[in-house]
Amino acid sequence: MNPLPKEIEEEIQSFSPEVEAEIDRHIAKYPVKRSAILPIMFIVQRERGYLDAAGIAYIARRLDLTITDVWEVATFYTMINLKPVGKYHIQVCRTLSCQLLGAEKIVEHISKRLGIKPGETTPDGRFTLSWVECLGSCGTAPAMQIGFDYYENLTPERVDEILDSLKE
Amino acid sequence: MRIEAIGCEPLLLARFNLENSRSLETYRRHGGYEALRKALTTMSPDDVINEVKKSALRGRGGAGFPTGTKWSFVPKDSPKPKYVVCNADESEPGTFKDRYLMERDPHMLIEGMLIAAYALGARTAYCYTRGEYKYLIDIMDQAIEEARAAGLVGERILGTDFSCEVYTHTGAGAYICGEETALLNSLEGLRGHPRMKPPFPAVAGLYGCPTVVNNVETLCAVPWIIMHGGDAYRSLGTEKSGGTKLWSVSGHVKYPGVYELPMGYDDMEKFIMEDCGGIPNGRKLKAVIPGGSSVYIMRAEDIIGKDVRMDYEGLVAAGSMVGSGGFIVMDDTVDIFESTKNLIEFYKHESCGWCTPCREGTDWLVKAFKRIARGEGRPEDAQLLLDLCDNIEGKSFCPLGDAAAWPIQSAIKRFPEDFKRHLLPLAEQERVPAVA
Amino acid sequence: MAELVKVTINGEVYEVEKGRLLIDVCREKGHAVPSFCYYADLALQASCRMCLVRIEKMPKLQTSCTVTVTDGMVVTTESEEIEKARRGMLEFLLANHPLDCPVCDRGGECELQELTFDWGNLEERFIEPKNYQPERYLSPMVANDPQRCILCKRCTRVCDEWMGEEAIEAGGRGVATIISAYGDWLNCSQCGNCIEVCPTGTLLDATYRHQARPWELVRTVSTCTFCSDGCQLALGARGEEVLRTVARDRYVNGINGEFLCVKGRFASHPFVNHEARLRTPMIRYRKGGKLVPATWDQAIEFVAQRLSAIKEEHGPQAIGIVGSPRLTNEANYTLLRFARDVIGTEHYTATDAFSLVPFFENMGAPLATHRDIRYAQTILLIGGEPEELQPLTGKQIRQAVRNGGARFILINSVPIRLKKNAAQFVHVRPGTEEAALLALADADSVEFAARKMGVETSEIEQVRRALSEAQGTVVIAFGELSPAAQKIVAQLPYIYADDRRRFLFHPLPLFNNSVGVHDMGLMSGAMTATEMLDAAGKGVRALYVAGSFLQQHLKGREEALSKLDLLVVQELFETATTEYADVVLPAASFAEVDGTFTNNAGQVQRVRQAIPPVHLSKPDWLIVASVAEAMGARFGIELSASAIFRDIAANVPAYQGLRYPLLKDESRPVQVKHEIAQRRDISGEIETLRATIAQADETAAKITETPPVGHELFKLGTLTEKLPQFHYLAAGNPKPENTLASSPLVQLTIDAALRRQRQEMALAGD
Repeated sequence: MNPLPKEIEEEIQSFSPEVEAEIDRHIAKYPVKRSAILPIMFIVQRERGYLDAAGIAYIARRLDLTITDVWEVATFYTMINLKPVGKYHIQVCRTLSCQLLGAEKIVEHISKRLGIKPGETTPDGRFTLSWVECLGSCGTAPAMQIGFDYYENLTPERVDEILDSLKE
Repeated sequence: MRIEAIGCEPLLLARFNLENSRSLETYRRHGGYEALRKALTTMSPDDVINEVKKSALRGRGGAGFPTGTKWSFVPKDSPKPKYVVCNADESEPGTFKDRYLMERDPHMLIEGMLIAAYALGARTAYCYTRGEYKYLIDIMDQAIEEARAAGLVGERILGTDFSCEVYTHTGAGAYICGEETALLNSLEGLRGHPRMKPPFPAVAGLYGCPTVVNNVETLCAVPWIIMHGGDAYRSLGTEKSGGTKLWSVSGHVKYPGVYELPMGYDDMEKFIMEDCGGIPNGRKLKAVIPGGSSVYIMRAEDIIGKDVRMDYEGLVAAGSMVGSGGFIVMDDTVDIFESTKNLIEFYKHESCGWCTPCREGTDWLVKAFKRIARGEGRPEDAQLLLDLCDNIEGKSFCPLGDAAAWPIQSAIKRFPEDFKRHLLPLAEQERVPAVA
Repeated sequence: MAELVKVTINGEVYEVEKGRLLIDVCREKGHAVPSFCYYADLALQASCRMCLVRIEKMPKLQTSCTVTVTDGMVVTTESEEIEKARRGMLEFLLANHPLDCPVCDRGGECELQELTFDWGNLEERFIEPKNYQPERYLSPMVANDPQRCILCKRCTRVCDEWMGEEAIEAGGRGVATIISAYGDWLNCSQCGNCIEVCPTGTLLDATYRHQARPWELVRTVSTCTFCSDGCQLALGARGEEVLRTVARDRYVNGINGEFLCVKGRFASHPFVNHEARLRTPMIRYRKGGKLVPATWDQAIEFVAQRLSAIKEEHGPQAIGIVGSPRLTNEANYTLLRFARDVIGTEHYTATDAFSLVPFFENMGAPLATHRDIRYAQTILLIGGEPEELQPLTGKQIRQAVRNGGARFILINSVPIRLKKNAAQFVHVRPGTEEAALLALADADSVEFAARKMGVETSEIEQVRRALSEAQGTVVIAFGELSPAAQKIVAQLPYIYADDRRRFLFHPLPLFNNSVGVHDMGLMSGAMTATEMLDAAGKGVRALYVAGSFLQQHLKGREEALSKLDLLVVQELFETATTEYADVVLPAASFAEVDGTFTNNAGQVQRVRQAIPPVHLSKPDWLIVASVAEAMGARFGIELSASAIFRDIAANVPAYQGLRYPLLKDESRPVQVKHEIAQRRDISGEIETLRATIAQADETAAKITETPPVGHELFKLGTLTEKLPQFHYLAAGNPKPENTLASSPLVQLTIDAALRRQRQEMALAGD
């Protein structure tokens, strides 16, 4: 029932033994394999940059699901990227407390510096800029996450420091 | 950012400022896992539940349901496995207390989960943490491993017959998964839609088995209750809701942070204007959302000089709710129309799409707010917004619909001037006949 | 009888069964409650929020589709508050819904449109731009206009719960939720049930796009002409052309509800008005010559004379009469009478894939209806592949397990898709399914049979135990079996007899009237179809065939038909059989005749004339009667379908007392009364089976691959190949480059050679 071409279907036979073991550890946590779908999506995303067709096919095979099962879950959660994102995914919180303390200025500053609007990726593929909803950093607003790393109490100057410190 | 207790001895924050506060060693040195030992060796599961009932501990996630009562709904005689699930999907705008509990004192949470598991006869406990809190999942995983190595997690805990596994689980960006049944669906690897109630999770939850879902702060209070007794906990707070509560404070205050207050702390004005340092830059207080973004917004005049008591009943009397205890403070530069627009955009983004009123209603509201913000407001829009909210409120599948409607309803009613500014100009122009 | 409770609805008190859904009770008692997402026997959804009612002592309005009635419940379904809520919900649903019903295929039979008439506001308050999503195709059969979707998710639920395919799902979140599949292309069995249950114009029949408005169509309720399940459907005709087939429950309420399979839904009508239909009678005056059009009088006269001459010269047994499991009971019965009473030959048969005569002769329990299957406690399936060959049976089994908690035991050499619903799957070596029957009938054979099947004896013991411990209804379904095995299966109820259980049978023949053609007696002639072909030019000099031989009959006997002195064929199309015919007579299709089919549940259901016979075609029975008349014989009855049916009722015991008016209501199908056989001695059959099974190869490898969806369904046959989209499916249903705008069909030219090859493969396997 999987409509993917065979070459995509079989592109990921398996990951490295360490990653496979990590996936096995997640599956072992639950009485029902499907429960491990989100942790595994993050792993596939880490390994491949985003959840591509081959990644979806791999997860479907690994958890005995159809690819449409994987697709319906993947599209529900905002942290699962079905399209490529930059090496550094800058996610600026737009929700109330951050907005009150100047989140828009932060995004304007980043936009100007990187030449991209929220939702866009720099041509070199280094940065993607996104607005995201509440990160739970209201007390240290405005805040952003780059990948999984939190950066808080932001000012334009601090943003410059942070971006400067990121490796090529 | 400040993290401190005011008006009481720190209970949840007791170990926060200790060096290496998240290590097992520090935790044990300060009485950690003694409550678990006490429960396992001297108390029956029913004793534990009774003690929690006595404590008048109420769920700290937002709904405020009595925890002991919730636990007692789990059928004792069910042959199915039972589960304890910790709700660490902290996503309510303005709320960030659980984050620091897990960051600074993860073992307190693990101990709380284990005691709950013992009380309910569960052999597995999951901690569902929002995906953005990846670093906290790592901290929790590390703490669980430490505890396992010390015989505190896994088989025959502390040498007793009680065995329980504790696992972390990650969310992936969905506010709705903070709703307990949506959380369970997500934990089962499904889309995070809420489930129909009944059956309630206590009867048919995770994998259709009896399950208790509790907030991080709720479970963190459990070791103290077991150690010191339910009565002692209750006496810290009020008759109907015992103990202390963490309040997350953000927005226009001098000292934003996480504050531990006794339940029924007697003055909200003092709390904002003194404990949190008041409003910076010489501005005046305009509005406060006291319970996370989903509750009614309060005007300054409902707080100043009104002796608002900070507990479930006190805040309801003052026209709002405790919710998750997330204070968002706004000074007089804030346009409440704009702040409300920000929130409704959040709810539209987070609506799961399951039911009609929430899915279509939030979309419509956002479109209307955006139109008004573009200067295309009409006087009848105020009534339209209220009517749309009324068509959502109480008619959606889960409380997210209510949560989206309440901020708008209260904002329009309590800050009509801020809305009029956006709705009236056009109407006034229309009244002037066009000059040829 | 379930416990009764008192419920007050709008001030009136009713006594109803406890535990029933409030929405059903309200509707049954005449208190209209609107809904979109609620659909009987599917998982509850409570998402459209249209069915809100007020229940006393409950804080908020409640969805009546999720509340079960309890004693003393006081319900209000009409009040200002409820009206506001419903109008509010409808306003929300219409907010992003395009209001251009005149260009929507669903317009005129759209539930959203209908409820808008009841609950819509006069004025539209939504002045914002609507969310836009382009129209597209999800498969050659399914057109999709996502903007019209109200996310009731009936489609995803029927796909999962009825079909077990989970092909179509909801993706995305919030207002951006979209019904689709990964890659936006459906690689499923293309049943189109998602189209049928869709209350709006979101999922549409791609083969019928923009062809007609529903109110232009005259609907005729009839019976499907493909498999033996006998689904009820409605043919929609405009003038003399059938344009579509649906099972919408506002038009037809048969055993299948709104369920149909890909063949029934999409292939039932395209052949009816197809240009390749035979137009006139044709005569081949000289062997090897051309078929030359003739008038009916000429053709009938020609056939009558030649038959009379052959009968004269070689005797009546030299003439063979062949009916078809695709034709109506009326046609087949007329053929039988023609054979017996006019020709006087014992050589009559029908072109069925296999005979069920041994089963029916020894049948120790009644046949199971599809409803019986849905509510059975235990289901045993031996061989067969219902999800591909009898899709309704497949659906009923799936729902029995899912919704009814039935215990489903599957014995098969192929891991068919239904396996995932099975509580126990006994995976046997290819061709050894009958060994399981042997082991079930004879305790001493368990070990022997298990060895031959390549399974553990414990697996067989487990099945035996399940049968001897079962309570309630036990349905035994089976595919093609040898005569000995048929007799054994037919007698199983006596072996496992007990007061706590009731056995029912569900044979799985392949054709729409396989059971009927058996009942009419055509399968009890002195020769089978293949024997008749083998005797062609020897004992048999002439064949009179209604329909055509199957590929399996003709295989290796290609020359047989050319050896006949006379071959008369009644057909819709030119086929491999008409190639050798001396006379071809154009027959009317099921859409053009009145009659009856008998399905695998023994239910005799009406076939109704939707359009007059196309071109010069005539009903099969009328052609046969005309030939008989030209031969100087009369049947002694008025020549009409209903009169022939009365004749059937008078002569076939199982059909005794039946008349067309009794079959009028498709929602209450009539099961014919097949005689229940006494307990028989089956020791001979056990010996026979032991001997056959002894020859099975004990080293044969098992089949481990689950056959792909559509491997039987998508095979091209004489009827299905008339629908271009079926060629697309048979070619593997590739996703076209562009799913928007135009039909996949016009974008992709399927290689003609490939199509032919597929077609040959398909026919070869028939």
